[in-house]
Amino acid sequence: MGKATVIPFGPQHPVLPEPLHLDLVVEDEKVVEAIPQIGFVHRGLEKLVETRDYNQFVYVVERICGICAFGHSMGYAETVESLMGIEIPDRAKMLRVIWHELSRVHSHILWMGLAADAFGFESLFMHCWRLRERVLDLFEATTGGRVIFSVVKVGGVVRDIDDDQLKRFVDVLEGIKDEYRQICDVFLTDRSVKNRTVGVGVISHDDALALSMVGPFVRASGVKQDVRLLRKAGYDMLDGFETITASDGDCYARAKVRALEVLQSIDIIEEMIRKLVPGEIAVAVKGNPADGAEACNVLEQPRGECYYYARGNGSKNLERMRIRTPTSQNLAGMTTALAGCDLADVNMIVLTIDPCISCTER
Amino acid sequence: MAFEAKFMEMGAEDVLRCAQDHKARGWRFVQLLCTNTEDGIDVQYTYMKDETIENWTVKSVKKGESIPSITDYFLAAFVFENESHDLFGIDIQGIAIDFQGRFYDVSVPEPMTVISPAQKAAREKAAKLAAAKAAKEKADAAPAADAELEAKLAGMDPEKAAKVRAAMEAKAKKAAAAQEQAAPSADAELEAKLAGMDPEKAAKVRAAMEAKKAREAAKAAPEGKGE
Repeated sequence: MGKATVIPFGPQHPVLPEPLHLDLVVEDEKVVEAIPQIGFVHRGLEKLVETRDYNQFVYVVERICGICAFGHSMGYAETVESLMGIEIPDRAKMLRVIWHELSRVHSHILWMGLAADAFGFESLFMHCWRLRERVLDLFEATTGGRVIFSVVKVGGVVRDIDDDQLKRFVDVLEGIKDEYRQICDVFLTDRSVKNRTVGVGVISHDDALALSMVGPFVRASGVKQDVRLLRKAGYDMLDGFETITASDGDCYARAKVRALEVLQSIDIIEEMIRKLVPGEIAVAVKGNPADGAEACNVLEQPRGECYYYARGNGSKNLERMRIRTPTSQNLAGMTTALAGCDLADVNMIVLTIDPCISCTER
Repeated sequence: MAFEAKFMEMGAEDVLRCAQDHKARGWRFVQLLCTNTEDGIDVQYTYMKDETIENWTVKSVKKGESIPSITDYFLAAFVFENESHDLFGIDIQGIAIDFQGRFYDVSVPEPMTVISPAQKAAREKAAKLAAAKAAKEKADAAPAADAELEAKLAGMDPEKAAKVRAAMEAKAKKAAAAQEQAAPSADAELEAKLAGMDPEKAAKVRAAMEAKKAREAAKAAPEGKGE
């Protein structure tokens, strides 16, 4: 065994689109310990709740992350609605689910492209991102935005999707589904992909539970954990679905869970569109959250469970707003997965937890 | 069974016991958050199992007080414990991966404990609103007191009740007269104002007022247009 050396990984690194630093303690080519460091782009958005009222803050939370933008606005709005005892119309709940699942589709396809790029499969990367453009087109057609959508408000949504758009939605998704199956087939069966992912960065079922991991990261270790199954906020209107899990807990299993979740999300959107009820899309919201009132909420974001907490103080501004993002919860799992891996596999392991540093650095 | 969120309190000495207990019963750690309040910092631990979330809060942790780390039971807490230290100045002892205050590179120490003017104004406004609400509730409760008195009088000897009523009416009249005497009438107030004005301007105002009174009187009188 050689002498221990510390290799700095990031914050500027080709595999990382966002600044995350890792101190990799290596002996020869083996990583024996990895210590993560964040804090390079911390924005203090939780503190901003003091100067933006609870309605304006929807637009602040959307800007936490460019990929989970819709999910954050939905999770925040649900929390404030719970804090103020507001019941929103069923159509608003269903529209939120449609857009949220579409966010999952675009997030996972984006991740698959990044992963393909990381293991040097350039054409797969391009196909993934080409397909993602069509998903973003759907967002643009129904919300007016491709990254920041601003369609959620406390009390419902601000835009409806008419019947023509819904029909187009279904047509486009059917087209995407066919093309996606071909990409997915390559992603899950190609030998060059498997060479880089199978048996790499393994987290066992017990470790996954002990490390309180969330999202596809924990589901890839065989843990059936998905807060959509709490069947609340629109998800109760679905017939029901099975959590997609894998048992090996390696990079391949994590890729497989995400790849299959895209198809599941498309099915959920199609079911929601079939069941979409007519009616109002928002209710009027009056008053302020009561002094000392508190509420919490969990939402299954594309990267995993996200926790929201709000406390009122009787004014239009909340006393405290907290968003615990999936990546901050998965950092402990990532350090465990990195311990003992080859130096060349670090980028694959880091990528397969799908870290979002802008979410973590709210 | 539906999604359920519970909020509970505990002492700083119970933090480890709570973590140990939840770990033993198969709960998972969700997050740790701090809230800056006027009495200190509230530190909240969240655990989840199946469809239940439990939020356990240690209320009003003061400067200099320390809290034990729960990373021996839940390693995932190291991120939040370092964050609580760097952003709120909470002293957490024994963190498994301790960044010694360098997890976040902040230009202002403990930035989340700084009470901004906006937050201070919001708190003052909320306190005023709460006071106004309490005063309104008190005023609304006053008619209820009258009803209570009436019920009492109904149960009394009729002669005695009449005497009490007469005494109360006399008291009310006296109070009204005193109030009238204390508050000058609108005319008297106006006269006082005019006396303090330039005499020429005051004369003009008086003339305009008299003309207005005459116009109003003419309007009020029946019109003699009969043919």
